[in-house]
Amino acid sequence: MAGQVCIEIRDVYKRYKSAQEDSLSQVSLSIMQSDVFGLLGPNGAGKTTLISILCGIIPVSTGDVQFFYNGKPYSDRERKSRIGFVPQEYAFYQELTPRQNLDYFGAMYNLPPQKLEARREHLLEVLGLEKAADKKIGTFSGGMKRRVNLAIGIIHEPDILFLDEPTVGVDVQSRNAIIRYLQQVNQAGTTIVYTSHHMSEAEEFCKNIALIDHGKVIAAGGLQHLKSVHHAGSLQTLFINLTGEEYRD
Amino acid sequence: MFKLYASLRKELLLLINDKVGLALMFLMPLLLVFIITIIQDSAYKMVNENQIPLLVVNHDNGKEGGKLVDLLTKSGLFKIDSQNAIPQESLKSELLSRGKMIALYIPATFSAGLESNAEDVSTILMDDLGLERDTTAREKVSMPKLSFYNDPVLQENYSYSVMSVIQSYMSVIENSLMIDRMYANMDIAERSAKLKDKMISNRVGIDQIVARNNNSTAIPNSTQHNVPAWTIFAMFFMVVSLGSNIVKERINGSFLRLKTMPTTFMVVMFSKMAVYVVVAALQVALTFSMGIWILPKLGLPKLSVPDNVIATIAVIFISSMAAVSYALMIGAFAKTEQQANGFGAISIIIFGAIGGILVPTFVMPGFMQFFSNFSPLHWCLEGFYVLFLKGGSWQDLRTVFAFLGIFIVFCQLGTYFKLRFERII
Repeated sequence: MAGQVCIEIRDVYKRYKSAQEDSLSQVSLSIMQSDVFGLLGPNGAGKTTLISILCGIIPVSTGDVQFFYNGKPYSDRERKSRIGFVPQEYAFYQELTPRQNLDYFGAMYNLPPQKLEARREHLLEVLGLEKAADKKIGTFSGGMKRRVNLAIGIIHEPDILFLDEPTVGVDVQSRNAIIRYLQQVNQAGTTIVYTSHHMSEAEEFCKNIALIDHGKVIAAGGLQHLKSVHHAGSLQTLFINLTGEEYRD
Repeated sequence: MFKLYASLRKELLLLINDKVGLALMFLMPLLLVFIITIIQDSAYKMVNENQIPLLVVNHDNGKEGGKLVDLLTKSGLFKIDSQNAIPQESLKSELLSRGKMIALYIPATFSAGLESNAEDVSTILMDDLGLERDTTAREKVSMPKLSFYNDPVLQENYSYSVMSVIQSYMSVIENSLMIDRMYANMDIAERSAKLKDKMISNRVGIDQIVARNNNSTAIPNSTQHNVPAWTIFAMFFMVVSLGSNIVKERINGSFLRLKTMPTTFMVVMFSKMAVYVVVAALQVALTFSMGIWILPKLGLPKLSVPDNVIATIAVIFISSMAAVSYALMIGAFAKTEQQANGFGAISIIIFGAIGGILVPTFVMPGFMQFFSNFSPLHWCLEGFYVLFLKGGSWQDLRTVFAFLGIFIVFCQLGTYFKLRFERII
C-alpha cells in the first residue's frame, strides 16, 4: 500500500570499534512503501553501513530502526522473512550451479519445496539464466553472477529489497536486464532501497533519494524536487554540487 | 527439517566439487597406509627374516677367522660374500662399488691374538688355583680388532644390531678358545667338549611377551600400527577442505547473507560437522578395509579389528569430532584460503610429528614427550592403540576421551567467539 511508511530510521549513529569518527551520524529517514529509494554518496560515505544496519547485519550504536507493512510494525523474526538483501559481493557458492544455490538459499528463507521450485524456475527464466542453470557459477561472466546474486535476494518475494550496488562491473545488457526486472518487482509492490555510483541509472530508477556524505544525510526527498531546489539539471550535477569534486579514496 | 536437508545437501555438493580436498582426504590415507606399511614391514623383515648381505674379507692366518665366518653363515642371518683377495685398504671402495651395505674385515693376527688372550686367562686361573702349568714362554700377541665397514646411508641402529650379532658370535669363539686352553694346560684337552657344549649351547633364552589384555588377539605389527596412525593423520587433513570452505564463506559474504535470513547459524555449522564426521567415518572404513582385505594380499599382516566394536565406534567418533572442530577453528581464524591451507596442513604435520604418528613418542626426549600431550593426534592415536594393540577397555579410554573432549570444547568455543567477533553469529 503506497503512501505508508515502510522503514523509519531515527537518529541513528554508528561508530565501529577502534574508529576515530562516526560512520553514521544523526541519520533520520523515512522510506515509503513501494518506493524505489536511492541511498547515494561518494566512497566511504556510509551507504553500505546503513544498508548493513537495515538488514540486521550490524547493530546501531544509538538510534532506532523500525519496519512496517501496511502500517503494522514487523517483529525481528518477521523482518528477516520479509526483507531481501543483495550485497555488493558475490555472496553465494561459485562451486555450485545457480539452481543449487537457489535451492539452498530458498530453503533458508523457509520456502516450501514446491514453491521454491516454481520461484527458482521463474527467476532462472526471467533473468536469462535458464541455459546456464546447471553449470558451475565459477565459469560465469560478471553480469551472470550479478543476476544470480539478485535472484537469491528475491527468491522469497520480499516486501523490502536492499540492493548494494547491484550492477557494479556488469555490461550494458546485464545492467539493463537487472534494472528492468527490478522495476517489475517494484511495480508488484516491493519496496526497493538501492545504492549505486551510477548516477544516470539511479536517476532513471529511483523515485526518492538520500544523499549521504561523511556519515550524514545532506539531502533527502523526491528526486525531481531536489534537482529543482538545488538548480541541478541532472542527478550527477546535484551530486557534485552537494558533495564536492575532491577525490574520496 | 527442510532447511537441515538443504544445508546438508549444500555441504555435500561443496565437498563433491572439491576434487583436491577429496583426493587429500581419501587417496592420501590409502597411499600413506600402503607405502609406510610396506616400508616398515620390509625393514622389520630385513632385520628379522631376510638374510643380510655381508661382504667378508678374512685375512686370518689361523683357524678362528674361518670359524667366525662359519658361525655367521650357519646362523642364517647373513648372506656371506667371501672376498679374501681384497686388501683392507681398498675395502671401502669395494664395499661401495659392489653395492653391499656392510663388510667385515678379519685381520691376519685374529687367531693369534685370541689364542694369546686365552693363554693369559688360563695362566691366571691356573696360578690362582695353585695348579702346575706349562711355563714355556710364548709370544704375546695383542687382542685383535675386527673392522666393520658400513655404507654411510645405513641407519646407525641397523649397524649396531649387526655388530651386536657379530659380537655375540665372537663371545662363542672366545669362550671356546679359553676352555680349550685351560683344559690343555691341565692336560685334559680331550675332555673340554662337554663343558664347551654346556656353556655355549645351553644359554638363557628370552621369551617375548606382549603386554596386552588377555582378550586381545591382535599381534603388534606394521599394519596394526600404521593403519590407525595414518587414518588419524588423514582425518585431520580435512582442515584443507573444510577450513578453506569456511574461509570462502566468510570472505565472500555468504555467512553475512545468511545472517539476514530467517535461519539459525547452528543449522549451517551442524551440517558442516555432520558431513565431515561422515567423511571421517568413510576414511576409517576405507583404510580399515584396505588393512583387512588388501594388505594381506600383498604379503603384509592383516589388520585385526578390536572385539569391542562400540568402543571402537566411540573412538572413531570422538577423533572425527576433534578433526572437524580443529578444521572449523582454522577456518574461523584464517584470513585467506592460502592461510587456512598452509597453516592447517603444516600444523597437522607438526601435531602428527609430536603426537607419535611419524615416530613413536617413547623414543622422543622427555620434553617432547611432554609436548605430545598437547597434540590431539596423540590422543586419537592413543585411543586407537588402546583398542588395536592393548585390547583395552572403556576404562582405559577415559583419559583419551577427557583430553579429546577438552580439545573439542576449546576449538568449538574458539570458533564461536571468533565468528561472533566478526558479527557472523
